[in-house]
Amino acid sequence: MLTTLAQSSFSTWLLSSNSIWAYPTVLTLHTFGMMVLVGAALMIDLRLLGFGRAIPLQSMSRLFRVIWAAFALNAVTGTMLFIADADKRAPELIFWTKLAFVAVGLLTAARIRRMNFQGGTEPVVVSSAAKRLAVVSLVAWSAAITAGRLLAYVG
Amino acid sequence: MPTLANAADLAHLHLLLNHFPTIGTILGLGLLLLSFIRRNEHLRKVSFEVLFLIALATLPVYVSGSAAAEALKGQAGVAQEAITAHNDAALGSFIMMEITGFFAWLALWRMRRIGRLTTGLTYTVLILAVLTVAAVTRAANMGGDIRHPEIEGGQYAGLFGTAAASSGFISAAGIKDYVLQHPYVWPTCETLHFLGMSLMFGVLMIVNLRLVGWLRGMSFASVHRLLPFGLIGFGINFITGMFFFIAASEQYTQNVAFHWKVVLLMLAGVNYLVLTVYDEAWALPASADAPMSGKLLGGSALVLSIGVMYFGRMLPFIGNAF
Repeated sequence: MLTTLAQSSFSTWLLSSNSIWAYPTVLTLHTFGMMVLVGAALMIDLRLLGFGRAIPLQSMSRLFRVIWAAFALNAVTGTMLFIADADKRAPELIFWTKLAFVAVGLLTAARIRRMNFQGGTEPVVVSSAAKRLAVVSLVAWSAAITAGRLLAYVG
Repeated sequence: MPTLANAADLAHLHLLLNHFPTIGTILGLGLLLLSFIRRNEHLRKVSFEVLFLIALATLPVYVSGSAAAEALKGQAGVAQEAITAHNDAALGSFIMMEITGFFAWLALWRMRRIGRLTTGLTYTVLILAVLTVAAVTRAANMGGDIRHPEIEGGQYAGLFGTAAASSGFISAAGIKDYVLQHPYVWPTCETLHFLGMSLMFGVLMIVNLRLVGWLRGMSFASVHRLLPFGLIGFGINFITGMFFFIAASEQYTQNVAFHWKVVLLMLAGVNYLVLTVYDEAWALPASADAPMSGKLLGGSALVLSIGVMYFGRMLPFIGNAF
């Protein structure tokens, strides 16, 4: 099944087409999505940890839309990149490590939103539970980026 | 994609640009000293802006210098030792320049927040600017020694004594060896480069989406607070990026994607300075819409930074491949 995917005509096109619209563009979109997603998540985390306190927390709620949209882009482009290299990627521990950290990051973002951004009322102080979640988020996204970058070097 | 410049153009560009750091830093320092004599805070602010812009402009000076060195390789009348010595001195002064530019920016950022320049930061910039002038004039002087008929024999003794490969405290060749001989360095720098990019873009996103008007309910002053994080991200990427460049400069000097990346980075840097000191935006309350100039500034910042990312990611695919 993995070999079938890796040998599909889509995979051949993505990997061996000389077109700039094939692999380079998909990879660049994936990088763009990462930068937007992690950038938005980091700003919310920093605010929860006490930086930029003058920014009303509720005014940042639109950044969650940015996070989900960037994730949608990266789910699509990531799937495309996976199909192209399915037989190589599937057995790699580092690949599944990356996906695990992405899952932790997304679940943490959802919990942060539920805890701090629902009801529309501004919390007077950020709870220590919210701060812990912000730290989990920072660690998860840094680890996801590290694992993702190492994919190009390990294995 | 058509090339922006060939090797000879880049060598020529280096000859045009290489006066900017020397003259610019002396000018910035001169304005700063004048501001003390005249007790003029506005003049002092201008001197800090000049120092920041010169720190920015030193990047193309350094990278075009590497292209010039490649173009000169093996030519008669050129002592390789002189190039190596100049490169090391230039790298040292480049680092000094960036530190000065960073503190000049920090002083401007603080000034925007509290309404006056702080003494500590002012004197820090003053001391750094003096040291930078010394370092950059030394580097420029050694650059002038590269092409002299009297060194054709290969014996080179510059104004500052015999130039061994590592005449200063820093050696480009040493950095290159360190990166290339340790297999963990490049992937580590790549990882940090992506993290720095995300941090920087997060800040750019929140500040500029606020200016454009997509994010509302936050005053400009409140998001201005986050600007140092953007500069920290840039600092991480500047350092890791220089590791890449020094270790494999031939991959970059002739690469059109790299040329575009540097051009867009310069424009993005100017944009960041305007964001930092911008008066009209500073007064923007949480509920108000930014004026058209603010929207254009915010929009161009986003386009430029995405452009920098695009050409960085495309380095292996556009132009000469890795």
